[in-house]
Amino acid sequence: MAERSFEHEVQKLKYSHGEIFRGEGILAVTKALLQSGVSYVSGYQGSPISHLMDVLNDAQGILGELGAHFEASGSEATAAAMLSASINYPLRGAVTWKSTVGTNVASDALSNVASSGVTGGAMVIVGEDYGEGSSIMQERTYAFAMKAQMWLLDPRPNLTSIVDMVEKGFQLSEASNTPIFYMMRIRSCHVTGEFIARDNVSPSYSNAKPVTPNREAEKIILPPNVYEQEREKIAKRLPEAIEFIRKNKINEFFEGKFSQVGVIVPGGTYNTLIRALQRQGLSDVYGNSDIPIYVMNAVYPLVPDEIIKFCAEKSKVLLLEEGQPEYIEQGIHTILRRADVHTRLFGKDIMPMAGEYTGQVTLLGLARFLEQDSDGSIPIEMSSKEVSALQSTLSDDDHNSLLTSLPPRPSGLCTGCPERPLFSAIKQVQSELGPFHISSDIGCHSFATLAPFNLGNTIMGYGLSLASSSGIRHSLPHKAISIMGDGGFWHNGLSSGVTSAVFNKHDGILIIIDNGYSAATGGQDIPSFVDPNTIVATTIDADSAHRDDKQPIDEACRGAGVKWLRTVSTYSIEQMKNVLSEALQSSEPGLKVIIAEGECMLNRQRRIKPLLKQSIAGGKRTLRARFYVDEDTCNGDHACIRLSGCPSLTIKENPDPLREDPITYIDNSCVGCGVCGSNAHSAVLCPSFVRVDLVFNPSVIDRVVCNLREKAVSLFSTNSAENQL
Amino acid sequence: MTERTVNLVAAALGGEGGGVFTNWLADVAELEGWFCQTTALAGVAQRTGATIYYLEFFPRSSRHDKIPVMSLFPAQGDIDIAVASEIAEAARMVQRGFVTADRTTLIASDHRVYSIDEKQGLGDSTADAEHLSEVAGRYSKEFIHYDMLKLANDHGAVISSVLLGAVAGSGVLPFSKSSFENVIRSSGKSVDVNLAAFEASAEKARLRGVEVFTPESKSLVEFKLPIAQTEKGRELLDQILTFPSVLYEVLYHGVSKCVDYQDHAYASWYLAQCESMYALENKTNGPVTMQVARYLALWMCYEDISRVAQLKTRLARVENIRREVKAAPNQILHITEFFSPRIEEMCAIMPKVIGDRILKSSFAKAVLKLFTGGKKLRTDGVFVFVLLRILASFRVVRRSSLGYEYEHKMIHRWLSSVMNALAKKDSVRALALARCGRLVKGYGETRHRTTSQLMDIVDKGASLPSERIESLKYAALDDDTGEGLAKMFDSVA
Repeated sequence: MAERSFEHEVQKLKYSHGEIFRGEGILAVTKALLQSGVSYVSGYQGSPISHLMDVLNDAQGILGELGAHFEASGSEATAAAMLSASINYPLRGAVTWKSTVGTNVASDALSNVASSGVTGGAMVIVGEDYGEGSSIMQERTYAFAMKAQMWLLDPRPNLTSIVDMVEKGFQLSEASNTPIFYMMRIRSCHVTGEFIARDNVSPSYSNAKPVTPNREAEKIILPPNVYEQEREKIAKRLPEAIEFIRKNKINEFFEGKFSQVGVIVPGGTYNTLIRALQRQGLSDVYGNSDIPIYVMNAVYPLVPDEIIKFCAEKSKVLLLEEGQPEYIEQGIHTILRRADVHTRLFGKDIMPMAGEYTGQVTLLGLARFLEQDSDGSIPIEMSSKEVSALQSTLSDDDHNSLLTSLPPRPSGLCTGCPERPLFSAIKQVQSELGPFHISSDIGCHSFATLAPFNLGNTIMGYGLSLASSSGIRHSLPHKAISIMGDGGFWHNGLSSGVTSAVFNKHDGILIIIDNGYSAATGGQDIPSFVDPNTIVATTIDADSAHRDDKQPIDEACRGAGVKWLRTVSTYSIEQMKNVLSEALQSSEPGLKVIIAEGECMLNRQRRIKPLLKQSIAGGKRTLRARFYVDEDTCNGDHACIRLSGCPSLTIKENPDPLREDPITYIDNSCVGCGVCGSNAHSAVLCPSFVRVDLVFNPSVIDRVVCNLREKAVSLFSTNSAENQL
Repeated sequence: MTERTVNLVAAALGGEGGGVFTNWLADVAELEGWFCQTTALAGVAQRTGATIYYLEFFPRSSRHDKIPVMSLFPAQGDIDIAVASEIAEAARMVQRGFVTADRTTLIASDHRVYSIDEKQGLGDSTADAEHLSEVAGRYSKEFIHYDMLKLANDHGAVISSVLLGAVAGSGVLPFSKSSFENVIRSSGKSVDVNLAAFEASAEKARLRGVEVFTPESKSLVEFKLPIAQTEKGRELLDQILTFPSVLYEVLYHGVSKCVDYQDHAYASWYLAQCESMYALENKTNGPVTMQVARYLALWMCYEDISRVAQLKTRLARVENIRREVKAAPNQILHITEFFSPRIEEMCAIMPKVIGDRILKSSFAKAVLKLFTGGKKLRTDGVFVFVLLRILASFRVVRRSSLGYEYEHKMIHRWLSSVMNALAKKDSVRALALARCGRLVKGYGETRHRTTSQLMDIVDKGASLPSERIESLKYAALDDDTGEGLAKMFDSVA
């Protein structure tokens, strides 16, 4: 069960012709896929398209009714390989992932399908994770499109354009026998808006209408076919694509009264440009601009005729191309030079080479552009100097004071997260046996590299931690330590990590965090399951949804030849420390795998909360635990926080008038996982941690015992202070 | 002015319902016949970081083809309303340039949600919220702020409803209050409480009811010495009256603590130390005496097993717990303490002769070891409660205990160092050394580290210039491994 449910919203996907569809970008894309008659959809979750996978997952029923097939792929490579269905048959299909990381994983299959070429429309919807809010290294999908000769669409970020471009994208793919990238930027995934729906279309082939197997030997990627395929890409598919884009007006021309200048903009940044023009007094709110604009909804390939037509009569043109290198700019220069057009093209010479083109960056770039060799005929409301000043209105003093006093707010693990006690344990073992070099991985556990744990040296990719320890392991003073999530393990950690390590007699330690879900991307299901464990304090539990075809991680490891394998509940900090120390000091050869089990607390709470309510309302005796810090005994050293970082473990003013340092405080969001108590024990902290169990619907025995206790205790109690002043 | 969109940017922390707030606003716009475009940057920030939501509003035209082009980016100088669910995030809005004095109404809750950097420090690493608020106020067109979390809690509502009320009350969006109310009503969840919180907040914002912001600051009301309850107490309080009045408060708290911890004689000894200090200091306000009085009391009342047992068996404590965990009246609670006593702490409450011998005997240590390690004890149970009362009673022999001797030896070294400095008229050093008393705290290893660091500063610091002592304290507060202080000593050696 994913974090966000779209069960209700996916009903809109059934809208028929003429209905007004209101919703988010990802829902609009899904609707567009159905309107295009896709036969199969698939993908791998990851921001910003995690929710697209959730929508597709929740829409399985609707997809099924139409005859479209859905799979939650094991990795982006799996998803990309599915596109091969479109090679021999006129089957439309779409897959989605986070780019560029997902594209990198998928690249093997992707290059091959691009070489073979497709008969049915094949579309890769990439969540372009670039700029503010991104969670990965900063690269562009553009490079892949160029090297593999796949076309790249970057539609204007309004739902009508988004939907139209999906439908035209399939046609483009078919017209040029080429798989295409369809780019969703971070913000357009969740942008809300409306469009007029069309009817859904059933795919021409499906379960009910199977294809006739068709072998086209020339499409197999073996020599000598590959030479012909490369030639065909350039000689046939590229011109066909350019022709289709031109004919179908995929790119848009907007006239403007100042025809001596112009702006070329990828569709995805069009809205930002219009806002900048409006703020300069050069456009109205509806996008009627005084400056001519050429919008490239297809950013690859470039259409030379259109570019020449747009630039020819202008003295200068600005290109707003986000990211680096400046592929589009180079392409346009080539086109203009070849056509001997002398229009001055401004691009990265006045715009930043790296980083997102935000409102401020675009506004500044536009001002700079209009100021270049200006004869004053185009009035602007803000000079580039004035625009620069908007960046910060703060005086130098205030700027500096905020710089020092404003605390950063890094991401961290959730309240009650099962990964926290694991890292508490590692931190404690490190203080005895460390310092450690740790190969980290992608997932929630990446946050252990931040405060307060500060554990981990490198992150090389999803499921690649163990692989990445292989080069350093012979030079480490301790056994190599790798940490991997269950998501990463199934994504490729089993093959590129475990199998390879066993084969190479790797004698390091692999800690696999088994929380039962692809948690970092929003709690999607993964092949393995984690049984609900009895944790320290949450006192109600239930079986998680059952699945017959469990694929346990430990069996997979054993199957790959692992001999030393321990499964430990993460919440058992003491046991975890012992197992870690044992693994680090063991003389036994071979890979040592520790499966650290603990169900994702977000998912667990989603399951338990209603049960708890139900149990209490139903009159059943129920215990609910939470923790409490004794304010009389807490000294305010915060060692407990440095071992935990739980959001519910916070601080408040010290009630003791003599003490100045804030004391630790547990707020009401505590879920009673018990980690602070266990840490107090295992790290020998202060005696301030208290677990409080609230008893709901007490039994008669509860009442009698409680009564007797209170009476007995009051006999031995004294007043608040033995001695009075 | 040409037509333009109304732009709102909001920063909310994970779990604060920023998504609910955004959806509500979009629904209000819809009811009012406006376009509303929302975007959010979730990413991995959905866990604990701040999530930025961005909304643009524009009235619908009767012509269907007239659709505004809306931006997906909040841009500097282009924001009408900035909403922050927490005061530091409001300052961050200003820092990022999203607040401009001629245009932006800044709406923020005064409460703090501490970041990990602020929480994990060894001392007090919290940001100066008052300063952040002051800066934020200076750069906004209007600054509407009050403790919205408290308002939400008072009504048992979610903070999103209070934020929505603030937006409605600010009047920047030309939407009727009834549209806001209808949206809350149709949400169908905790409607009454959320409506009440919304109303209260809207009214506050409408009146621009900016509260004087005192973020958990101590009251500035002049301290009045309370009246003694006992004869011995009166003697002690009379003694306090011989000090300048600025010292009354700290001395009173010090004396109370000592009496509660041990007895009146202990408090009397405490006052005697402060007296000698004040006599040597020879300054009307007694800044050094003030610091010594504070940290000396805390140190003298070091938390040994008897003290912890004493504190854990107070009846008032249970009431505190009940309030904190929001227990219903008469609801049964089970209270489990997490103790982890070490042999050292056990020996510390024993008479010195016995404690010393046990620490030297491996057999005795082995026996005691059976009682060490992590213990979960139910203080609501009779057995544990009685056991703790017995341990608490060990305080009658505290003066002859091993721990007492150990702590008081260090106390003397610290006091002498301050007095020496005063005798040499080196008030900078004296004050700095007195302030270093802040370092002493914690249990077990932590206490060992912090007291040894103070002793190091007292000993090794003697040869350093007076101006350096303060920086030694900060170095000690740098990390919990002692590296910072060690490096500092190396660099000045």
